[in-house]
Amino acid sequence: MAFDAIFEPIEIGKLTIRNRVVSTAHAEVHATDGGMTTERYVRYYEEKAKGGCGLCICGGSSVVSIDSPQGWWSSVNLSTDRIIPHFQNLADAVHKHGGKIMIQITHMGRRSRWDGFDWSTLVSPSGIREPVHRSTCKTIEEEEIWRIVGDFAQAARRAKEGGLDGVELSAVHQHLIDQFWSPRVNKREDEWGGSFENRMRFGMEVLKAVRAEVGNDFCVGMRICGDEFHPDGLSHDDMKQIAAYYDATDMVDFFGVIGSGCDTHNTLANVIPNMSYPPEPFLHLAAGIKEVVNVPVIHAQNIKDPNQAQRILEGGYVDLVGMTRAHIADPHLIAKIKMGQIDQIKQCVGANYCIDRQYQGLDVLCIQNAATSREYMGLPHIIEKTEGVKRKVVVVGGGPGGMEAARVAAERGHDVTLFEAADSLGGQITIAAQAPQRDQIAGITRWFQLELARLKVDLRLGTRADEETLLDLRPDIVVLATGGQPFLSQHPEWGYSENAEESLVVSTWDILSGKVAPGKNVLIYDAICEFSGVSAADFIADKGAKVEIVTDDIKPGAAVGGTTFPTYYRSLYEKEVIMSSDLMLHKVYREGDGLVAVLENEYTGALEERVVDQVVVENGVRPDEALYYALKEQSRNRGQVDLEALYAIQPQPCLSESGDGFLLFRLGDCTAPRNTHAAIYDALRICKDF
Amino acid sequence: MLETLLPILIFTALALAVIGAVRRIRLWRQGRPSRVNLFKGLVALPRRYLVDLHHVVGRDKMISNTHVATAGGFVAAAVLMILVHGLGIANPLLGGLLLLASASMFVGSLFVARRRLNPPARLSKGPWMRLPKSLMAFSISVFLITLPTVGLLPEGLLEGGSSWLLALVLAGVVAWGLGEMFFGMTWGGPMKHAFAGALHLAFHRRAERFSTKKGGAGRSTGLKALNLEDEAAPLGVEKPADFTWNQLLGFDACVQCGRCEAVCPAFAAGQPLNPKKLIQDMVVGMAGGSDAAYAGSPHPSQGLGGKPVGEHAGSPHGPIVALEGKALVDADTLWSCTTCRACVEECPMMIEHVDAIVDMRRYLTLERGKTPNKGAEVLDNLIATDNPGGFDPGSRLNWAADLNLPLMADLKQVDVLLWLGDGAFDMRNQRTLRALVKVLRAAEVDFAVLGTEERDSGDVARRLGDEATFQSLAKRNIATLAQYRFLQIVTCDPHSFHVLGNEYGELGGHYVVRHHSTFIAELYDAGRLTFAPWKGGSVTYHDPCYLGRYNGEYEAPRNVLKALGIEVKEMERSGYRSRCCGGGGGAPITDIPGKQRIPDMRMNDVKESGAELVAVGCPQCTAMLEGVVDASAEVRDIAELVADALVERSADDVTGASRRTTASTTAEEVIV
Repeated sequence: MAFDAIFEPIEIGKLTIRNRVVSTAHAEVHATDGGMTTERYVRYYEEKAKGGCGLCICGGSSVVSIDSPQGWWSSVNLSTDRIIPHFQNLADAVHKHGGKIMIQITHMGRRSRWDGFDWSTLVSPSGIREPVHRSTCKTIEEEEIWRIVGDFAQAARRAKEGGLDGVELSAVHQHLIDQFWSPRVNKREDEWGGSFENRMRFGMEVLKAVRAEVGNDFCVGMRICGDEFHPDGLSHDDMKQIAAYYDATDMVDFFGVIGSGCDTHNTLANVIPNMSYPPEPFLHLAAGIKEVVNVPVIHAQNIKDPNQAQRILEGGYVDLVGMTRAHIADPHLIAKIKMGQIDQIKQCVGANYCIDRQYQGLDVLCIQNAATSREYMGLPHIIEKTEGVKRKVVVVGGGPGGMEAARVAAERGHDVTLFEAADSLGGQITIAAQAPQRDQIAGITRWFQLELARLKVDLRLGTRADEETLLDLRPDIVVLATGGQPFLSQHPEWGYSENAEESLVVSTWDILSGKVAPGKNVLIYDAICEFSGVSAADFIADKGAKVEIVTDDIKPGAAVGGTTFPTYYRSLYEKEVIMSSDLMLHKVYREGDGLVAVLENEYTGALEERVVDQVVVENGVRPDEALYYALKEQSRNRGQVDLEALYAIQPQPCLSESGDGFLLFRLGDCTAPRNTHAAIYDALRICKDF
Repeated sequence: MLETLLPILIFTALALAVIGAVRRIRLWRQGRPSRVNLFKGLVALPRRYLVDLHHVVGRDKMISNTHVATAGGFVAAAVLMILVHGLGIANPLLGGLLLLASASMFVGSLFVARRRLNPPARLSKGPWMRLPKSLMAFSISVFLITLPTVGLLPEGLLEGGSSWLLALVLAGVVAWGLGEMFFGMTWGGPMKHAFAGALHLAFHRRAERFSTKKGGAGRSTGLKALNLEDEAAPLGVEKPADFTWNQLLGFDACVQCGRCEAVCPAFAAGQPLNPKKLIQDMVVGMAGGSDAAYAGSPHPSQGLGGKPVGEHAGSPHGPIVALEGKALVDADTLWSCTTCRACVEECPMMIEHVDAIVDMRRYLTLERGKTPNKGAEVLDNLIATDNPGGFDPGSRLNWAADLNLPLMADLKQVDVLLWLGDGAFDMRNQRTLRALVKVLRAAEVDFAVLGTEERDSGDVARRLGDEATFQSLAKRNIATLAQYRFLQIVTCDPHSFHVLGNEYGELGGHYVVRHHSTFIAELYDAGRLTFAPWKGGSVTYHDPCYLGRYNGEYEAPRNVLKALGIEVKEMERSGYRSRCCGGGGGAPITDIPGKQRIPDMRMNDVKESGAELVAVGCPQCTAMLEGVVDASAEVRDIAELVADALVERSADDVTGASRRTTASTTAEEVIV
């Protein structure tokens, strides 16, 4: 049987898990109200259980003590009995669909922020500052150690009393337990530091206290790293020794293994590998741990595809696979495997929109699935067919917003035509996918292509829709998602002209799409600091050109998230791309065969010049509004979206009003330049009631 | 002159017929012994003929009436003719009756003739084309020679000096008629069907298929268990003489009407099987010779339109399938059969094609190890793992890891033993099983499963001819079942249903077995299930062969669909005429190529019905029909439709455990 390895149940401790797929612990951020799980939280996990996920480990970095601040990432607060009834709701929601649910519990030690909420004094074995959160801390005292050991035990009791199936002790990501483990952070000379046994002591005391509190029938696991990837940190061999040491106690029911430590920006990027990484890059580390322990090993990191999961499990590298982002992209992953609908799985592309939001303290959302974590609002993962009238829906624009609009309308059972001026679907995704290491972003388009084909949407590719062609189709609804164009005309001094021969500057789109060949000595001016600027720099440098990327912002790529800018930086530094900040592009002029770019320092006003052969400007998108205004006056709703209904996830009132003519909606960048998620979210919430 | 000639002709014909009969009987008796109560059979003959046979024949009213007139007329005329013209009892009453009988026969023969004017492809030609003329010759001549007995013609008309020529001509026609009807009956002419057919009805190998005064037809397997203990006993049928004598008799009864050919899915798919031809091949083999005289559609053949006739030959003691080259039948003909019993259902002569095919397969598999394509692998899997897919037997319950299914091993005694079947290893069927579990729980049925104690029922092994593996599986299943107490077995697999219910008995396992559709219908009738109104589109229903034709259950699935609020849009081929999905008898395993696939044809039937969804009740059908590319309709098991429509009355969750909260539950998995 295909995927038999995935669907082989497994015992973890006394618990039977129905399959080998786990949604591993991550901070949900949308999780809680003052540390208590909410309806949103419950529905988010219920959806995964409904979709067939075997085990959910919720609540990444859920705190056991009040001096481990809970508020920054809205994690679950297990330091109080108030949490117990909330857990009961959560456990019921997951159990009724046959799933199991545990929670990760931790004390984060120095890995947090102190400048808010209770203004906690963070604690750490030796008081050494943590760079990622810029956090200082105190050296932990023995009394605090024992208090926290007791807090772990009480937290585990609360999880058990709440009906959860187990707890996972976080000894990964440089939380307090592995802060004690790592000689990089633990410089103590008392019985809590120095020798192996001493460094292990805190974790061992936590484990003993937890086990004593919950007994042998409750699942207790540990999440550990496979190698800190720091010369002064814990190596893979060290981690094997540690895992074997704890395993020998027979008190640990499972190990979760993450490759890489994460107390620097660069190692952090390893922990949630983005699309630049190969599949399962750190599986070998987890397999190494499995060699030395006698209990099941879970490993998550870039496992997104059922075939990949099957291969890993069949190979026996680990016992369970974490497919966490895969579930964020598609919580019905398992059900679709079972249904034989592999092609309908919305596969995670590793854009890391989810985790990069999380590191900004924003709720975890999926770049391509607007329903994820919005289940509580009534946004559906499965679009039901309408019981009302079947309408003729015409969508203009085959970017993410247009594709989602067409998909949702077609799922509703309507007759859908989609116009796209280019020869293929994708819109700006197609351009973004041209950059080195960014090709997987095209997976978003690939899924839509398959879905639109399955739903028999009439695709008119290579066709620029005009007013006449649209109205000839006698549409009931027109959705415009026509996007926009690079906004190079904002400053006339840049010398942009629509005539390519005359224009002194080109756009990142021109470069990435291949419309304009990269020069040999290129200046990229990036006023936006998101993906396109650094992608263009990487792309041009990849061709062997000299590249300087300049921004007036604080650094190039400043708006690229915490797990993604490091992989860009690795690539850009390696290719000797010069990154300059605080400089504004003042003017471009031609001199001889070359171009001179005049840059103005943001803070001094001083001008400096660069002599280059190509100037690439990234200045965002200007909406393409022409078609909208051509249609607006003729439409029944004058193109207006009812915001109250939109935000409340209610049907647009005009859908139920009768009248002649068509309804007109626009979404995505042709309204105002936002991002892929925004376009897809608008498309879903507008079109779901068609 | 006629008065002299007629008795001579009649008694000569009768004498020749008797000699022919003896010869024919000797052909049949080449077969192996078969225990039949000859007397009981003969007593039952009229009922079997008038009720069961005419139930089949009567599906074509025209032919039925034609046959009643012709055959009824002939039988009466033959008896009366012997009295009147043979023994000279020139009673006007008898004469009048004889006139009536021969007139009736004549009218019948006109219709026979009409059918032969432009005969459909399924009808054999050859000698059969002359039959209407022979019938007319007999009936007209008998009518004419009888006219004088009732005084409608002067007594001496045919006696006078000038009329001797007329008398001679008449006598010649009478001789022709007698030749066809009496002599031909036992010497191999078309009328052989009457003689062999009548005896076949009387001495049928599967007497339980006939109705009795007490009730409807019984259900049974046609497959008899081989005696595997007796080392001398041959395994299966290698040569025609290896069939039992009443099987040979059955083959001889064939009228070559081709109804089997018209309904055979393998034939329609262009696979090298024409059931009619196969039966005729057996007749050829029984008597010895080649198939050159065969005058019907041949076994299909890729690229040739049909396998050339005249190239195959055999003898009673020669092999049916050659080790190399050609003998009577090619192996691929035998492996093309889906065992769907469409031919058996349609055969007006009650011939059992499927059992004969399996008998021949048994020899090929057990003695020769020649199960083609994936056959050997599947049988090896069954031997090694007790399931055809070769899955870890310990994983039979993996699909239900989150359902907390009660195990027989724990409970020992329940109302319903839920038999999972090998669909438990199939991801598609697991959805059906989960749906069924949900339904059982909603109706609060006291049930349990064998879990990993269950083994394959043996269906596939048996149809592939591996009787040894079948018996091994069956005996071990019976031993397992013997440990527990239950009122009935319920299964969503019609193959398990048939095998457990009808084939285990011979090995000592007697159970009440119900198909899930039957059981669900009962639960609904008992008010234990409540359904939300149907909101989906139009639905048709595909009858699984092993539920319908094998076991006569056509109503329960339809009643369930009706209870769901579905009005079934019947396909043209439905009920006892349902077309097989192509999945039975190991056909997907032996995978004999044809010009198209059977499931494609079936989904085309679905398409023609206009239904958007086809409801099924068999894992095999689901797999076959869902495997059709670009199908116009969705395939759902009845259990799934029922589970979707359930209005839940309890707050129990999918895992069977009581929940603390009272929130309403949804399906255990999104779409499941």
